Amino acid sequence: MKKFSKILFVGLLTIVMGCNDAIDIRQPGRLDAQNAFRSVDDLQQGLLSVYNQWDLTPEIAFASNFTDELSVGFDSGGQGFALYDFVLNAGSVAASNFWVRNYRVNNRATLLIEAAANITPEADEQDQYNNILAQVYAIRAYANLELLTYFSPDPTDDTTLAAPVVDFVAPLDYQPLRNTTGEMWDYVNADLNTALSLSNVQSNATFISTDAINAMRARAALTRKDYGTAQTLSSQLLSAYPLANQAQYQAMFLDNDNTEIIFKLERVVNGPYDGQGTTGSVTAGGWAGARFAFVDATLAGSPYFEMDRGLFNLIDTDDVRFDVNIAPTSVINPDYATDPDPVNTDILVIQKYPGSEGRPLMNDLKVFRSSEMLLILAESRVAISNDLTGAATLIKQIRDARLGSAQPLPSYASAQEAYAAILDERRVELCFEGFRYKDLKRIGVAANRGIDRDQTDCTTQSGACTLAASDFRFTLPIPIIEINANAGIGSQQNPGY
Amino acid sequence: MKLKLTWLMTLFMAFVMQLSFAQEKTVTGTVTSAVDGFPLPGVSVIVKGTARGVQTDFDGNYSIKASANETLVFTYVGTKTVEEVVGSRSSINVSMQEDAAVLDEVVVTGYRTQSKATSSVSQVRVTAETIENRPNASFVQTLSGQAPGLNITTSSGQPGGNSLVQLRGVASINGNTEPLFIIDGAPVDEDNFRSLNPQDIASIDILKDAGATAIYGNRGANGVIIIKTRQGNFGEGLKVNYNGYVAYSTLQDNDYNIMDAQDLLRYERLRGNGAGAGNSTGVFNPGAGSPLTDAQIEAAPNFDWTDFFFRTGVTQSHTLSLTSGSDNASQFTSFGFQDTEGVLQDSDLKRFNLRTNVTGKSSNDKFRYGANLSINYSKSNEPNSIGSGAINRNYVLGAYQSVPYISTADYSNGADLLSPLSFTNTPLFLYDRLLTYTRFEEEVKAIGSVNFSYDITDWLTAGVVLSGDYQSEFLTRAEGPESFNAILFGGAENPTSGFQDQQSTRQFAYNQVTSLNFNKTFADKHTVDVGLYTEYFKAHFRTFGYRQNGLDPKTFFPGDGSGFITPANGLFGDFANANILNAGLFSYFASLDYDYDTKYGFSATVRRDASYRFAGSNRWATFYSVSGRWNISNESFMDDSAIDNLKLRASYGTAGNQDIVGLGYFGGPDLTEDFFGTGPGYGNANSIGLAQLGNRSLEWETVTQTNIGIDFGVWNSRLRGAVDVYEKETSDLFQSTPLSATTGVTQQNANTGLLYNRGIDFTVDYDVFKPKTEGGFGMSVGIVGNYNQTELQDIPNTEGEIIGLGRNGGILFEIFSLRYAGVNPANGNLLYLTANGDVTESPDADTDRVWLDKNLTPEWNGSFKVNFDYKNFFLQTQFNYVLGVDRFDNDYAGFINADNVGQFNFSRDILREWTQPGDITDIPSPTATNRNSFGSDRFLRSADYLRLRFASFGYNVPAKFLENTGISNARVYVNGENLITWSEWRGFDAESNGGQRSYPTPRTISVGFELGF
Repeated sequence: MKKFSKILFVGLLTIVMGCNDAIDIRQPGRLDAQNAFRSVDDLQQGLLSVYNQWDLTPEIAFASNFTDELSVGFDSGGQGFALYDFVLNAGSVAASNFWVRNYRVNNRATLLIEAAANITPEADEQDQYNNILAQVYAIRAYANLELLTYFSPDPTDDTTLAAPVVDFVAPLDYQPLRNTTGEMWDYVNADLNTALSLSNVQSNATFISTDAINAMRARAALTRKDYGTAQTLSSQLLSAYPLANQAQYQAMFLDNDNTEIIFKLERVVNGPYDGQGTTGSVTAGGWAGARFAFVDATLAGSPYFEMDRGLFNLIDTDDVRFDVNIAPTSVINPDYATDPDPVNTDILVIQKYPGSEGRPLMNDLKVFRSSEMLLILAESRVAISNDLTGAATLIKQIRDARLGSAQPLPSYASAQEAYAAILDERRVELCFEGFRYKDLKRIGVAANRGIDRDQTDCTTQSGACTLAASDFRFTLPIPIIEINANAGIGSQQNPGY
Repeated sequence: MKLKLTWLMTLFMAFVMQLSFAQEKTVTGTVTSAVDGFPLPGVSVIVKGTARGVQTDFDGNYSIKASANETLVFTYVGTKTVEEVVGSRSSINVSMQEDAAVLDEVVVTGYRTQSKATSSVSQVRVTAETIENRPNASFVQTLSGQAPGLNITTSSGQPGGNSLVQLRGVASINGNTEPLFIIDGAPVDEDNFRSLNPQDIASIDILKDAGATAIYGNRGANGVIIIKTRQGNFGEGLKVNYNGYVAYSTLQDNDYNIMDAQDLLRYERLRGNGAGAGNSTGVFNPGAGSPLTDAQIEAAPNFDWTDFFFRTGVTQSHTLSLTSGSDNASQFTSFGFQDTEGVLQDSDLKRFNLRTNVTGKSSNDKFRYGANLSINYSKSNEPNSIGSGAINRNYVLGAYQSVPYISTADYSNGADLLSPLSFTNTPLFLYDRLLTYTRFEEEVKAIGSVNFSYDITDWLTAGVVLSGDYQSEFLTRAEGPESFNAILFGGAENPTSGFQDQQSTRQFAYNQVTSLNFNKTFADKHTVDVGLYTEYFKAHFRTFGYRQNGLDPKTFFPGDGSGFITPANGLFGDFANANILNAGLFSYFASLDYDYDTKYGFSATVRRDASYRFAGSNRWATFYSVSGRWNISNESFMDDSAIDNLKLRASYGTAGNQDIVGLGYFGGPDLTEDFFGTGPGYGNANSIGLAQLGNRSLEWETVTQTNIGIDFGVWNSRLRGAVDVYEKETSDLFQSTPLSATTGVTQQNANTGLLYNRGIDFTVDYDVFKPKTEGGFGMSVGIVGNYNQTELQDIPNTEGEIIGLGRNGGILFEIFSLRYAGVNPANGNLLYLTANGDVTESPDADTDRVWLDKNLTPEWNGSFKVNFDYKNFFLQTQFNYVLGVDRFDNDYAGFINADNVGQFNFSRDILREWTQPGDITDIPSPTATNRNSFGSDRFLRSADYLRLRFASFGYNVPAKFLENTGISNARVYVNGENLITWSEWRGFDAESNGGQRSYPTPRTISVGFELGF
């Protein structure tokens, strides 16, 4: 038994000596911060991760559900009822999503900008290095522009409050107050100018190029009603990117044509956004088409949302936008207004995102198209010089292209009428692309337009049919999730909430 | 009863046996308990004045060589010693009388055992007798209501499904809240017992206060549960025992008052939507455009989908065990087979168990060893998506909410359900899934431990326990290529859709405890025990799996790869995954116990503990405890008292919780570090992105517990019990601290805040009638209870409250909600209260919410029991009660959601809905403008219940009938689980916290018998 006690003693020793392997464990597959970015190629991979944070589906889901683009479908499972009823408050997903998502993009972009500062590129890498930075700055500007557009009660008034400007990687205990709209514009414009100065690619459909940066500048100027800048930039881009013809237009929404595309976010099979996302919620994510249907963009694809009948009525059947936006399997009932059961007899299936690469509902997200530039230009002409004919000429130009034949030149008696026509054209041209809410916010009052749903659609729901563009809900509230962490900002809540 | 409760402990006591050359004969006999007539195993039988001795076996039998002039001495803990002169007899049967004065159970306290009298900690034992033969696949479910302070919530009826085990409240927010489980020295995964055979368990000790748990260091914060399996005895012949039962499980009842087809169609007609109105898109629409006539409604079929998706589940269970022992070795071997059908279609569990436990010693008794090995294989079909709102995946949704006018006869195949794609066809989608979807798990689980000890001197012992817990789970699931779901999501582009997943998860945990124990009694009265220990723990986790998209229906079979379609144009991509994680702990610790004459005692423990989780911040922690006792009944002034046992205990100490994320050994392995990760980015190209922001000050949670208790026994322990009062303070709670989104994240978990659990545990037993003669009438009653109140403090923000968590001074997970105030008789809209208590239709969804002082954690829980014995019959009952649980009845919310008309079924309550001004009702108008606008406490219900949790009626066949049959004992019984529930809760299972559309636990009746050879 002496042997045994020796064995025991040795065993005991082994344990005392060998304990570190139990408490000093490095898990496999970890990449720590100091090793993450060591070369320009690493930065390129970091850029792809920043791009991956950029999504338009929350904006698409929010604008269509809240405004007059869609109605509750025959195959509804109860999705989006609250937003359809104009319920919007500090606890709403819309508020937290727009706030949190854009600050996340801002943070990830800033992290990469700071990482890039530690890397000195070789001479032959300088162009790539600059171009990476140009894209990161542009993405950061886009996120902050979105924050400004949605959280500033008036983006044209520099003295109003917007959102905090955070141009550094904030420490975890950072609790900022809101900056003014003017300060936020300075931040957005500084990033856009930096991006422009670094960009060395003129045009690229799926990565940010100089043209995309200029398109973003045009949209930003429009949002601020800096119509002079908007006019200059939009007319430049419109000449570089002419409107598509009917065939090109249809191909564009199948992701087979880029004639009109200044920039789009690519969505691919098996990629991070290849999935249903959160249906019926602003959280969204996933396939753009899954904002409206569960399975595919046909009658049988369980379309829980359908096209608002009022929007449908604006689209001529010869218009290519009819073919693009309305599924051929739709059930169209001309007597919908008097039918006792319009929900089941008048089914307008949304087809803007029919799918691509063999995947139903998955399409690239069009960020900047030349038709938007045309409509920016039209609005600028009215605003700068009350050039009503100039605006009408542009509206005719887009209708000619979409209908495939010469259309009559419209005539507007007043600026208000012109704004209304531009807004109506935007409602059709840019439907389900996330524009309607911010367009109404910008010129709804000037155009005497607001949310105006078809009576048949809204009365079969709870009767939420109209909402004036002056309503406080055209600005999002500071979300509770932020106030919980940052009590000071709670006293800066937007009016009405 | 006390005797039976204690017999197993004697198995762990050493005894002495030597051979001699005297002329002897063999004396045999049976030793029984005078209390209930049951055989007593483990009774020591010694020939007086010699070292010869044996112990009785499981059935109370003994056999010993003795000469006629010698005397046999029968001793057993808790009984009076009996002496019998052998004389001419060759058979001596003895009945042992209880001796309350010397009641002396052995209890497990930490890494050592003590007699009950000299233990100063709060500890409860559950014995085999109350576990065996219960028709629960997992023994954890059986523990429900058996120990004060132990709250067990089973929220799934899946056979062998996991239960939530909580001891004395909830001591963590995000961390593990379940006790540490140790089986024969091996710490095991506390969430997976489905493969283990409950029939092998000999005893379960539940350690509650810091005096007992501090020595477990940073794993002891939630208490410790120590399980011992059965062992053989030295020097006994082969004994064979068989247990078997058949059980029938059914769904428990509900009070939702669900409509039949006729009521539903009439309601749909009234609402102008659905088959009743002639405008359904489902397969049943005889009106085809016009509302149904009364005659058509009467003629409509009525199909009960609840009866279809739920069934009577049949279980059979068999356990065969063999025990034997020689002079220096003993063994226990058991084989088990169980086949359990769940009440939900496609859910079941089949398992095989093999256990072999071996003990041995050197002939001088100085060296002892033991090995316990259990190897188990199980296969279970487990439907997933339970609880979800997926109408094409959750069978339970189909069972509860399907319209009854559609039946299985309407089903042809999955493709036919595609167009029109109608929510109303929900049951057919699910019927299709039942036919085409496969999901099962196969598991191999092996738990083994070996222990060695060696007495270096008579007061110094060295020991080592090595143990391992290995589990390998293999999940297979497949969605058949011709199923509705496959075709639906495959679409025209992908006609051979469907997928198959296989996932292997392996986990191994190794534990080693090395010890040196010093034990010596000085001057007859001073006993000192000192233990020094080290513990080493290492665990490894490995997974591997794949998903194949695209299956050819001609050759597809679930689990087989013949039907795999080659990847093409991205759609049939195959995906592989793999993961490696490692975990480890190391500690050294010491214990000290001092006893003076079994009157006063003092114990202390201290442990230094290191966890791999905090390597980057606070690696080492120290935990300690002190405890003391006063055995008042052993004082001379108590000699003539009716009180034969009275002990006052007190303890104070700390224990830790290093599993602060609550995900087991491997969760949150390096939360102190910042990480980037590589993975798919934009355009599915490889990218580098931020993966984790580290917390540099991470540490374990600490539970500091104070406990004061009394153990008592009166009138020869006819009335006996224990009462404990405790306070547990959890500090450095690992919880979500909200961060401004401008930092790039919205929260980070950090160690902050305090959580208190304060309460009282009690257990009281009383023998109302003690049998005066063997087979006489006996009746005993008992109650077990725990009152526990949680309180939060130091919440990490300036408001002192976090929605979803609670507020300073409030209870944990307190519900914060708008208050619902009924239906406006004027317009049928819903009414709410503002924060000030004013009635409004349009409250502020944020600022009008209030704290409701309600949560999901019970305030009171426990059980009471009434047991009867007469002749050879016995009847046992256990009633469980839970008070102070409030939860949302979202199933009911679904049954009265007017927006579901035409798609799902309703409660008849909806017929009370508001229709015209002046209606006073509790159901709002189906078109109320604010019906979807606000969440509120409208569906918050009390889930308090009283349940006849268990009843058993049986018969022990008297020994005289078994003579010459070769059978030594026989018993038949009928058991019932969840027999009756009294509750305001309207759902299927008041106990379940599973939420909406979940799988309730069943009601089970079983019939079984037990034979010994």
